[in-house]
Amino acid sequence: MRKIITIIKREYKEAVFKKSFLILTLLMPVLMIGMAVLPSLLVMMETKKPFRVHVIDQAGWVFEPLRQSLNDTLKTGKPKFVLSRIDFEQKNLNELLNQQKELIKAEQIDVLLVIPKNIDSISVADLYARNVGDFDMVSRFKNTLSTLVSNHRLLASGLEPELINKLIKPVKLETTKVMRGRKESKGGFMSEYMTTFVFIFIIYFTIIIYATAIMRGIIQEKNSRIVETILSGTNARQYMTGKILGQGAVGITQYAIWVGVGLALVFASGKFLPVRSFTISPTTFLYFILFYILGYFLYSTLYAAIGAMVNSEQEAQSLVTPLVFLLVIPLVMIGMIVKDPNSTVVTTLSLIPFFSPIIMFARINLANPPVIQIVLSIALLILTIAVLIWLVAKIFRVGILMYGKRPTFPEIIRWIKY
Amino acid sequence: MEVLKVENVSKSFDEVHAVKDVSFTIETGKIYGLLGPNGAGKTTTIRMIMNIIMPDSGKVTLFGQSMCDELKPKIGYLPEERGVYPKMKVRHFLKFLGELHDMASAELDKKIDYWLKRFEIATMNYFKVEELSKGNQQKVQLIGSFLHDPQLIILDEPFSGLDPVNVNLVKEIILDFKKQDKALILSTHMMEAAEKICDHVYLINKGQKVLDGPIDEIQTQYGHNSMQLEYKGDGQVIKDLPIVTNFNDFGNFVEIQLKEGTTVNDLLKELINKIEIYRLQAKRSTLNEIFISLVKGGEQDA
Repeated sequence: MRKIITIIKREYKEAVFKKSFLILTLLMPVLMIGMAVLPSLLVMMETKKPFRVHVIDQAGWVFEPLRQSLNDTLKTGKPKFVLSRIDFEQKNLNELLNQQKELIKAEQIDVLLVIPKNIDSISVADLYARNVGDFDMVSRFKNTLSTLVSNHRLLASGLEPELINKLIKPVKLETTKVMRGRKESKGGFMSEYMTTFVFIFIIYFTIIIYATAIMRGIIQEKNSRIVETILSGTNARQYMTGKILGQGAVGITQYAIWVGVGLALVFASGKFLPVRSFTISPTTFLYFILFYILGYFLYSTLYAAIGAMVNSEQEAQSLVTPLVFLLVIPLVMIGMIVKDPNSTVVTTLSLIPFFSPIIMFARINLANPPVIQIVLSIALLILTIAVLIWLVAKIFRVGILMYGKRPTFPEIIRWIKY
Repeated sequence: MEVLKVENVSKSFDEVHAVKDVSFTIETGKIYGLLGPNGAGKTTTIRMIMNIIMPDSGKVTLFGQSMCDELKPKIGYLPEERGVYPKMKVRHFLKFLGELHDMASAELDKKIDYWLKRFEIATMNYFKVEELSKGNQQKVQLIGSFLHDPQLIILDEPFSGLDPVNVNLVKEIILDFKKQDKALILSTHMMEAAEKICDHVYLINKGQKVLDGPIDEIQTQYGHNSMQLEYKGDGQVIKDLPIVTNFNDFGNFVEIQLKEGTTVNDLLKELINKIEIYRLQAKRSTLNEIFISLVKGGEQDA
């Protein structure tokens, strides 16, 4: 035990005082804050200038109600849309169109709207602009025109638009999540999806980072031929355990820093962060920690075995790919999991050790699965980890001192027997 | 006193017999040479002693106990494939190695100071290991292997990479250990060095022990009929003599070996009328020659 601690200490000190640790620790919060704050910043920096809109109204009745409907204002209080009607009667329409398009190109105006004479029957109008990807602007025009035109049709049919709109008003559905042992919470698919996704992404991301760090460390130590010196005082199992726990401690340190920084930021400027959509109960958070740790052990053991088997990181790549694949499957399935967390497929996968750290956690967050299933998945996970550590320690013991060509699969099986 | 006993250990990797049925004992106050060509099985044997790999059969006993991981710190081991943690400071690296060998911190500091001074690298205490020259890195590795004052010290190629001054320094230290009644095993290709300091030699070839004995005995046993000869005339005459078993032409002189039971006088009687002799010197074979003849002999057998 003391030797394992010695190895953990060395591993921990070396990793924590490295520049890359500092950089990642600082960079991650910056990135996350960036992702959280950027949308609201973008909204704030919304175009300050009004849209200059030219309207060629061939129907004749559209311009006036349109101008009245598009009465949005900018932050400055000025109107967002400045509409002017273009006379077209004296001129050839094509010529006029070309002339107006030139104005758009020259940035004299921003939008040209062409309303056909029979818009009531054909329901099509043309919009010209330099940027038609501005989703907000385009849909504002579309919705306004739709309302205007349908109201116009209703009037023409002798019906009262206000009455009709009242009669066909759609029903709005307010969703509230009710679960055993949980407070009721309002939230829809998006909020469920987001919370789950953020947490399982953290599990995925950190497992990959730290398990890869272990693998890389072992390859480096193998290449620098330090391993045999270490084995002169300890055994392979102690060495492997020390490395895995050491890197794990590094990961936890990094988490602690991030959570600390995150909490400080939430308190400092709560309004920027969409905290409301991240609601998670303390029980779920404990499960998160538990599944993160178990998942970390499972995968870092496998990564350690790969590190012991190969001579270089390039060689490791092809062996790592299947592991990454196992980790990615739950991420790809996230939509399916959120939609029906208790389907047979999802329930089955949430019991399989290689997927359970992510999928069972997602189910706990979403669906309150039966306790027996949670216990079973944790038990299976622990059992698998125990068997793997035993197996991998054997591979490790032989592989760590093998240099030269990469072993084939049958060779590795033989190593277990040595 | 017996420190280590290796009994009939064998190890094979994928049908290749790396070590076959090797046995020997190591006693205190003696220096043992574990010799053999590349790939003979020396390193595998040492790794089995160190419990780094398990023998397929046979037994290793250390201080009367069956070898296990808990006994590792009682041995000082310098592997042939030795590395360092390049980014660590010299002192921290040595402390790490000391702790791995069950040393307490206070004692460790004193020992590190002593050895750094003895190896004349005391000023490099807080250098990163990677900043040291190859030779100095090797000194650090050597210190790491006997920092914890073990009773049995196994050094695999301790002299490789050292300049003559430092080879002497290491030799002195090894002889000091012998005086302190420790047991030492040197695994080396440098026969001259082995010849000078070893008391007892185990020669391993193709995984088997082919020679075992005190160095004096071996040299008298294998070296009494060897001589160097300088002459003028037809060398073929010497080669054709029935009493000459081995003839080796070096250009300026030849080295020959005589059949057992014959003397220098017999040789002179045969040659005196045929060639002109300038110099004749009877000599003991070096360990190197014994080594080569045994290893080559082994190949002819195979």
